[in-house]
Amino acid sequence: MLVLSIFNLTACGKGKIDESDIFQKDFEELVEEARGTTVTFYGWGGSGQTNAWIDGYLTESIKKDYDIKVKRVGMNMDEILNKLLNEKQLDVEVGNIDVIWINGENFFTARENDLLFGPFTYKLDNFNKYIDENSLDIRYDFGYPVEGYEAPYGKAQLVMVYDSEKIKDPPENYRELLELAKSNPGKITYSAPPDFTGSAFIRNIIYDIIGYESFTNLELDEDVVRNIIKPAIDYLRELKPYLWREGVTYPSDVALLNNMYSDGEVWMTLDYHPNSPYGKILTGEYSDSTRTHIFENGAIGNTHFLAIPYNAPNKKGAMALIDYILSVESQASKYDPNIWGDLPVLDNEKLSEDEKKIFSSIKLGEATIPQDILFQNRLPEVSAEIIPLIEKIWIEEIPGE
Amino acid sequence: MKDKLKPYILLSPVLLIIALVFLSGIIMAIVQSFGYFRVAGLNEFTLRYYREVLGSDSFLSSLSFSLYTSLVSSIVAVIFGVLLANTIAKYKNGNNVIKYLYGIPIIVPHIVSVLLVYNILSNTGVLPRILYGIGIINSASEFPSLLYDENGIGIIITYLWKEIPFVAFTTYTVLARISDEFLEVASDLGATNKQAFFHVTLPLLMPSILSSFIIIFAFSFGAYEVPLLLGPTKPKALAVQAFIEYSNPVLENRPYAMVINVIITFISFILASIYYRLFQKIHKY
Repeated sequence: MLVLSIFNLTACGKGKIDESDIFQKDFEELVEEARGTTVTFYGWGGSGQTNAWIDGYLTESIKKDYDIKVKRVGMNMDEILNKLLNEKQLDVEVGNIDVIWINGENFFTARENDLLFGPFTYKLDNFNKYIDENSLDIRYDFGYPVEGYEAPYGKAQLVMVYDSEKIKDPPENYRELLELAKSNPGKITYSAPPDFTGSAFIRNIIYDIIGYESFTNLELDEDVVRNIIKPAIDYLRELKPYLWREGVTYPSDVALLNNMYSDGEVWMTLDYHPNSPYGKILTGEYSDSTRTHIFENGAIGNTHFLAIPYNAPNKKGAMALIDYILSVESQASKYDPNIWGDLPVLDNEKLSEDEKKIFSSIKLGEATIPQDILFQNRLPEVSAEIIPLIEKIWIEEIPGE
Repeated sequence: MKDKLKPYILLSPVLLIIALVFLSGIIMAIVQSFGYFRVAGLNEFTLRYYREVLGSDSFLSSLSFSLYTSLVSSIVAVIFGVLLANTIAKYKNGNNVIKYLYGIPIIVPHIVSVLLVYNILSNTGVLPRILYGIGIINSASEFPSLLYDENGIGIIITYLWKEIPFVAFTTYTVLARISDEFLEVASDLGATNKQAFFHVTLPLLMPSILSSFIIIFAFSFGAYEVPLLLGPTKPKALAVQAFIEYSNPVLENRPYAMVINVIITFISFILASIYYRLFQKIHKY
């Protein structure tokens, strides 16, 4: 990483791009100036569907409409951040990333270290036209104020995935989950944090027991958190002996849990993408009787965002691309489960009747919960700094003999 | 003089990069492990992080878990690797296929080996299915859990599968060069096969056994992906723990990750120096 940054340093020199005009100009002018340029788009590249959407629909359409070339680079967010952090330390003023796919703790780290350009979202046409700026999951990213430094990209929400032939009544709350595990010992488990999905499931359980309101304005202190989540930790300990492998050990990754579900080793799995279980039925990974479910008190959800690094070489192009992703066409194309299945970020109230029809005409498949039900039962994420504390407490208290 | 310098000059571009990457990485890790990390607003050198890490139970159990899995796998791998090499060497002029076949695991990446072990040994894997098919077990859950357990059996098996051929490979090249005459002389003087192996072959092999032991031990001690995927939720291997600390979004947490990294590096350095000393002693053979 360091060597890479050193090479960047020597390759690009310390030239500075004049970008004082960005905030003065109209958005149309910025798009006009971005014509013919290349935008590098960095983000997690681990999903074939996601990559195919960027490389296919997005790249082709924006080339056609704005004459902008998109260059996608798959890289894990923490690596991107470390790269930017190194560049910051070495005062690299012209980097090579224009747009990054980001959220949660990574956005927190990026903002705390001034790695992002902005605020820029108020300049975007589609942001002003379609986004409900005041909704909680646009204003806050894992409890951290967004303040215009990132634009929403899509939404995700945690669902439980189960086999309806084996589980007739999926659990409506944590008590029913315990009953289910008791009557089917060894058939239920969740992936161990720091796995993202397993960690979210634990938070969902905590919400179900103590309510998510307990986390608002919470002090960042291990003892405070430990105290507040104690009822939930007690519950997880009570649940433990009925889990897979008596809860001594847990699958380290949600992919492993999904795999165990496909093999029939467990009867339930988790997914932070409500549309993807249906996709897995289509590919034959999951049985046809697979369904998704959420607790009656709601399911945890998060928004993923797009941001621009402080040293992005093509900020105008980056803004044009982000605006393009916020269009009805892009969001609808992304929502189609056959393409990606990512939940849209546009505010339904702000859509015209015709635009609403575009979304409602997309076929979701019987395993998928429709977006309006998901959004009605959506619970916000806790602040990014609290998550590692919860994970630490879980590791200390739950697994092992 | 000129000839003496020539190799160094020719190697200097490579050495420079290696030194740069290696040293800058280690120096940064050491500096941050003492709590100096300007980006996170930490400006003071302190031993606090070492005290906290070394005093925590979870670190100590991670350390012993890492030491245990890598020691057991390396020792067993060395023993079976030497036996394998010896067997192959016996059929020097015979079947050539084996000579290439046993090398396959060496080129298979660790992550793929994990997948193989998972496919065979998980409770819904190939082996339990076969045992179920021939009626030895009655359900998948009767199959003993070999993966994700505190005994690290899955991890050790994965390393063995990769490392036995590696040890065999390094020792075989030496074995193949050991002249048969040594063994013939030994047996002429009345040594049994066993005696000839222990008193003639083994000492000759010792340098390569030691070096391969150090290599596989140091590798498995610092490895991440195998214990991440096949290890228990608790205790976690050191490298896994280090990565968890490293990815904490609160940057002030970074020194904890670096303390673990420095300890891993330190133990590897000790091993390397032991190896160096032993090598000098043994080299007289």
